[in-house]
Amino acid sequence: MIRVQSQPFEVGEEQRLLLDGRRDIGAVVSFTGLVRDFNERPDVQGLSLEHYPGMTESSLAGIVAEAEQRWPLQAVNVVHRVGHLQLGDPIVLVMIASQHRRAAFDACDFIMDYLKTRAPFWKKEHTASGDYWVAERHTDLQAARRWEAS
Amino acid sequence: MTLTHLNANGEARMVDVADKPESRREAKATGAIHMHPATLQRLVEGQMPKGDVLATARIAAIQGAKRTHELIPLCHALPLSKVEVDFALDDARSCVHVTAQCRLNGRTGVEMEALTAVSVACLTLYDMCKAVDKDMVIDSIQLEQKSGGASGNYYRTTPIVTGQGGSGEVSLGTLSSAGEPCVRVKCLAELRERLGVGEINVPFQRMASTDIGGLKAALKDMDSRFAGLDEGRTLCAVNQVMAGDATPLTADDEVAFFPPVTGG
Repeated sequence: MIRVQSQPFEVGEEQRLLLDGRRDIGAVVSFTGLVRDFNERPDVQGLSLEHYPGMTESSLAGIVAEAEQRWPLQAVNVVHRVGHLQLGDPIVLVMIASQHRRAAFDACDFIMDYLKTRAPFWKKEHTASGDYWVAERHTDLQAARRWEAS
Repeated sequence: MTLTHLNANGEARMVDVADKPESRREAKATGAIHMHPATLQRLVEGQMPKGDVLATARIAAIQGAKRTHELIPLCHALPLSKVEVDFALDDARSCVHVTAQCRLNGRTGVEMEALTAVSVACLTLYDMCKAVDKDMVIDSIQLEQKSGGASGNYYRTTPIVTGQGGSGEVSLGTLSSAGEPCVRVKCLAELRERLGVGEINVPFQRMASTDIGGLKAALKDMDSRFAGLDEGRTLCAVNQVMAGDATPLTADDEVAFFPPVTGG
């Protein structure tokens, strides 16, 4: 399931829904990204996330489909927020269920790497000294490239 | 929802805030004054008859914030701890953006102070420049955010959704007549703000070649701001699928230009 929404999400509730009625799942791995108070500048007060409706969802669906081809997964849940977010707010959730843990760990890592470098979201950070658009990170591109070699 | 400024008889009253707990209150307001490009140019060069325009407007805004209670009938007099006023000169839109932030630790919010500061700054800018330009227009005076107090935090939620008018978006509108084949171009995120263009339609007849490369050339030809498409890494999608300079275009295609993605 893929959702792009402005409302917050609750990880425990997402996991409960994912596992509801399932007896075949052996492992759940989830990653939650949060708004932190430092990034390119030290005094981040919040951020705004813009997306490209339609393309964002189809891009996420493509990334999830590729993960499902690479690993045997039983359920994938990706939630990404847009709009204004405050410090400590959850931004993104990737939750993977599989029979064995390795597939879930790897698929979660893969989806985050591809999401950060391919899904059309843009962050604008608000600081005491003004707002700025976040620049792409070389390390994120490198991380995504790992999956192409293997 | 009750209006605390009205009593049981519906008459105006000043709210008694003596028993409210003190908390850190902040508010940020913005506004803009639009002027002829030549006026903005003179302002930049410091050639206004009344002298330093921005410094005067800044002082006026701070004074205005402090005297809000004298202007707005039911406002309390507040010992503001901070009033910060910023101006951003915008050549592309030929206007001055005004931002004011107010703060105090107290029992009542500082939204009215921030809004008053922006209003007075805009009025002062008008006064300082009116000798050379009487067509100036003040608009978009609005609260952007506030924090603290019982009513909680507020953020103006500009729907940050492409095509619905993000912050600072200027649309050049439809340049083609109805029925003429054209492509719909969107600029997203940082690129939209940098170029000052959100959406624009480009008629096919303006393109030397009906592909992304031809579209870029036509855009630069139509508006010099599109030279910014070549600054930094700009990505492109046609009908929401990633594309390159050689990607062909057909009528009614949606083309989006945007900076590298930074989600997650």
